[in-house]
Amino acid sequence: MIPLLIGISLISFLIMHLAPGDITTTEASFNPKTSEESRQKLRQMYNLDKPVIVQYGLWLKRMSTLDFGTSFAADQRPVFWETKDKKGNITKGMIQEALPVTLFINIAGLMLTLILAIPIGVYTATKHNQWQDRLVTSAIFILYSAPGFWISLLLMYWLGVVCNLFPISGLHSLNYDLMSPWEKVTDNFKHLFLPIVIPSITGLAGVSLFVKNGMLDVLYQDYITTARAKGLSEFIVVYRHALRNALLPLITLLGLSIPGLIGGSVIAESIFAIPGMGKLFYDAVLMRNFPVIMGILTVGSALTLLGNLIADIAYAWADPRVRRGVVK
Amino acid sequence: MNLNLIKKSLSNPLALIGFLIILFIFFVAIFAPLLSTYDPDAIDVKAILLPPSFEHLMGTDGLGRDVFSRMLYGARISLLVGFVAVGISTFIGILLGAISGFYRGWIDIVIMRMVDVMLSIPTFFLILAVIAFLSPSILNIMIVIGLTSWMGVTRLVRAEFLSLRDREFVLGAQTLGANDLRLIFIHLLPNSLTPIIVSSVLGVASAVLVESGLSFLGLGVQPPQASWGNILTDGKEYIQFAWWLSFFPGLAILITVLGYNLFGEGLRDALDPRKAK
Repeated sequence: MIPLLIGISLISFLIMHLAPGDITTTEASFNPKTSEESRQKLRQMYNLDKPVIVQYGLWLKRMSTLDFGTSFAADQRPVFWETKDKKGNITKGMIQEALPVTLFINIAGLMLTLILAIPIGVYTATKHNQWQDRLVTSAIFILYSAPGFWISLLLMYWLGVVCNLFPISGLHSLNYDLMSPWEKVTDNFKHLFLPIVIPSITGLAGVSLFVKNGMLDVLYQDYITTARAKGLSEFIVVYRHALRNALLPLITLLGLSIPGLIGGSVIAESIFAIPGMGKLFYDAVLMRNFPVIMGILTVGSALTLLGNLIADIAYAWADPRVRRGVVK
Repeated sequence: MNLNLIKKSLSNPLALIGFLIILFIFFVAIFAPLLSTYDPDAIDVKAILLPPSFEHLMGTDGLGRDVFSRMLYGARISLLVGFVAVGISTFIGILLGAISGFYRGWIDIVIMRMVDVMLSIPTFFLILAVIAFLSPSILNIMIVIGLTSWMGVTRLVRAEFLSLRDREFVLGAQTLGANDLRLIFIHLLPNSLTPIIVSSVLGVASAVLVESGLSFLGLGVQPPQASWGNILTDGKEYIQFAWWLSFFPGLAILITVLGYNLFGEGLRDALDPRKAK
């Protein structure tokens, strides 16, 4: 994992050097108050006067203490985590505020995706090549090819504007501060409903196709025939015996899908105006806010590595053969 | 890959449908100037946000431009981006995968770590950042999508090469004095083409999706040039008054991606000896 982290940091570092000019000109261009003095300070902070290799080394050193610097925008907020100034005022970090929002929406969405996709995958596998399978699988395959943001846009319009069932943007209503605690909960729920439900509908296509294929590989194996021969009910055979094995590769798939989910949050959050990592990144990219861009790239990649690690551990936990070292 | 295999894969009805869809998109893109009923960039203030009619088959947009004509030209962008991006990623993938699988050893370890690094960076973030710094142009978009999507092909080619490297026909050729280049390009590569082709076809589908996502965020193909993604972005602004602006481009993307997915999956099924009847 350590070499991976170094590789990732190298790429995020190199990106900073892709842009024409040095980064202080970019800061000056959207923050006219920047004086020559503060630009000098910034050059010093990023060690722009030193050779690139030294710059990278120093950047890595700061990164290892989780110091991602402060935003280029006028408010100069810390990129990663809160800091205390001399008077004891706490300024919250940008990633610190955005990350929980994105994590919550993605994890809730992923749960919902699994709850919907696994039964669909199992059903189509048990009805393999019958008309029910053909119908459902065709629909799923079309959904799989649809651009997620298009479906999101249309559903958002239909559910939010035409039917007026749910608010379509942000996390709170305008009068949020005046609400009673219970109203706040329902208000939050209403605002989160579309951003969680719609992406999980578009995401379930891939997962259910995957589950179906996994089930098809398992359903015709000998131990399933044995289970049937023992006289177990079809439900137990399918959901207890077959599904457990078919779900194993799904763990790996979920681990691999994390970068996609994080990356996809840019589009999802821009549609629903959610103040999460994707929105933060998008705004930072438009403003060429380098510390924020590099911070999010690094944190996003670290999350992916963490996700893969969790997936590996979960795999070992779920598969006794791996746990006991029977298969590598 | 010979004619027989193509025939076999097109006998799969789904692959055939996919193939016909792809042909259709090609046809539309090539003959866009003949099929279009208006100049795609002509602004007509007297015809703003008209619903679909016989005059404007898919309505008009906020500047009075004919959506149908813009859609036809948008097909060119999506084909171009899809094929060039996949061309780049397949080229890199074959190169790195071949080196990795053929020579093994430390170079294999280095390349595989590179793959792991690229796989753990959220690619869409990377693409966005690079595009924003280099200014969004079609060329940059194609290159960046290509440069961030070679990992799958690399792993595929490497795996094929690893399994073929010690087969008798390769060892035989080596004994007869074939050099490394000959072994790689004449003996190993042609025998690993099938999975590469399948993954390229599926790769076009995902490149089309990425391009439309970028354009949707305003960091893709820049107006006034029409792409399905940026027509859809305009549609987002007008969604309350003009559904056709967001409906048709999304549908076009769906049909195109569906075409590549059907063809790719059909090809895989037809060429997979386990699934062949």
